[in-house]
Amino acid sequence: MNMTIIAQMAVSGALMGMVYALIAYGFQLTYATSKSINFGQGELVMLSAFFSLTLLNLGAPYWLMVIGGLLFGAAMGLVVERACVRLALEQKSEGWILLTIIFGLLGFSAAENIWGRDDRPFPSPISSDALDFFGISITGLEIAVAVGVLAVMGVIELFKHKTLLGKAFAAVSADRDAAELMGISATKTIMLSYGLSGMVAAMAGILISPITTVGPTMASALILKAFSVAVVAGLDSGFGVVVIGICLGALESLTSFYLGSGWREAPGLLLLILALAVRPNGVFGKANIRKV
Amino acid sequence: MNKTLIATLLLGMFAAPAFAGDSIKIALTGPFSGGSAPMGTSMRDGAKLAINEINAAGGISVGAKKKKIEIIERDDEAKNERGALIAQELASMDDLSGVIGTVNTGVVLAGDKHLQEKGITKIITPAAGSASMTQWSKAGAKDVSIFRFAAHDGIQSSMVVEEAINQKFTKVAILHDATNYGASGHDDLVDQIKKQGNKLEVVATEKFNIGDKDMTAQLLSAKTHGAQAILIWGIGPEMAAVSNGMAKLGMKMPLIGGWTLSMSNYIDNAGKNGNGTLMPQTFIEEPITPKVKSFIDGYHKTYNVTRIPSPVSAAQGYDAVYLFAAAIKQAQSDDTHKIKAALEDLKEPVKGVIATWNHPFSKWDPANEQTHEAFKRSDAIMGKIMDGHVVFANNADRDRLIKNASK
Repeated sequence: MNMTIIAQMAVSGALMGMVYALIAYGFQLTYATSKSINFGQGELVMLSAFFSLTLLNLGAPYWLMVIGGLLFGAAMGLVVERACVRLALEQKSEGWILLTIIFGLLGFSAAENIWGRDDRPFPSPISSDALDFFGISITGLEIAVAVGVLAVMGVIELFKHKTLLGKAFAAVSADRDAAELMGISATKTIMLSYGLSGMVAAMAGILISPITTVGPTMASALILKAFSVAVVAGLDSGFGVVVIGICLGALESLTSFYLGSGWREAPGLLLLILALAVRPNGVFGKANIRKV
Repeated sequence: MNKTLIATLLLGMFAAPAFAGDSIKIALTGPFSGGSAPMGTSMRDGAKLAINEINAAGGISVGAKKKKIEIIERDDEAKNERGALIAQELASMDDLSGVIGTVNTGVVLAGDKHLQEKGITKIITPAAGSASMTQWSKAGAKDVSIFRFAAHDGIQSSMVVEEAINQKFTKVAILHDATNYGASGHDDLVDQIKKQGNKLEVVATEKFNIGDKDMTAQLLSAKTHGAQAILIWGIGPEMAAVSNGMAKLGMKMPLIGGWTLSMSNYIDNAGKNGNGTLMPQTFIEEPITPKVKSFIDGYHKTYNVTRIPSPVSAAQGYDAVYLFAAAIKQAQSDDTHKIKAALEDLKEPVKGVIATWNHPFSKWDPANEQTHEAFKRSDAIMGKIMDGHVVFANNADRDRLIKNASK
């Protein structure tokens, strides 16, 4: 078998995997602070993409659209936190699971009614022409996705590790009560994490839309993969999601090439089952030590 | 419940038929929202254009007086269960003259049995799935009140295979979506390849799911197995992803497939990568004759667009109304059973925008569903995407249509 073809498959899949990783990263951000995740994250990706497309159609320049889209995503993240998560957490209930799912459904219907059910193209200043790297075709758009994903995650990781506010993340994550006693507002930290998570979702939407088109169902397939990636990598692993995302994406491509396109979804599910059986905290996760 | 309310309702029931007889009621059904909406709305708007023209001329003369057409509009949202409900509702109307429409073959299969049971005349357009008509021949129905006015998948797949053979290809790949539509399209293609003498070798058969955006694996499989053309059966957005993937991988071979390749969501999402894609069409939005020009201009002006979302659906909706009107005129009645009999034996040719329809249907033969199919192979042409529009793939087709129209 020709090596170039294997490489082409792996690279194309890996680039798709980066997107899974970015969405999975959104799960991680909120899980780190509140041990809760937004099951409607896919709808945030889709809503932000639609919002950004509307900005572009209104004549906004590209850079303004990116800023507007990210702010919209952050705002939506805050709404999710306030409407679906905060009360449930205060009551120490698992109600956020249902509430975030319901919020996602609401967002889906809203998008259908506001923007319609059609898939629409999303213009981008980056060319979709293919570039040739040693026989492997990669489009400018795909490179933009890779760069964008790493940049966003890099900035947020820097913020978490280098700033005082960011360190509050780790503190709340480690022990919410102790952090509160140290004068860190857990509520505000959780709010911040949801805002950031929404922003990450918006970034994912803006990055992939030129490739996948924008429609109400654009994220429904992505979100399941992202969830697999988050669970396999571990919900508190930072860059671990990138590694797993790339592996999963490449594996999917290769499987569908060698075993047939019907088997495409199989590796993700197998990986998920394996990870849950062998390393329930994820490949890069730390085991929870619970003192009795 | 309130007695007055019941009384009012009862009164309403008896009062309504009093107005019947003043107009001819025709129902237009199809998906006017959702992914299939470009076809549904174009069909509806094309049909309305024809109805408005007929009404503006005073209506259709039935017996001693002229009657206008009244439209009953129902949105089936491309959902089978909605389609079944709508068909039941329409079947229960006593004064309905007939039904025109339906885009999705699944909706046809779910709903038409209710209309057939009551013998209500329906012209299916633009749903193309073979099963819409073969369901009646398979069931051995003695009499059928359902007609079709669209180039069915049998015609389309034969044209796709023919095109690949004409272009001297010997190796092709078949890509199709995992839905019923895609799977039966695949079967039709394989069938046609056999029928046309096994001149094509299928080197790769690949599936994709609704919502898939990355087609690299499927396309590379086609490429490594040496496919010279890709035959495809699916709907707009995924086929656009295939075109975009082909451009990325530098695959310059042609993409040939069903008429869904002319959907605006394929053309828009594939952009320049869609150029050169070939698909069977029954109508091209190009003003080749005065009649076609006035139809296109009328559509653009009435609905304030510069491009018909689905020209095929619009033209078929338009011509279907004129066929129906001709049947009413010949039957001299708005009774749906008499209209059916007239449709099966239209004496006078009907001038439409697609063609001049000369005895398009004949008496139902349980052994041959072609009796209720209006389109023959010669009524369809190959279309090609060029810069966001569907144009004639072969100029010979255009010349033939112009010549036929001037006859």
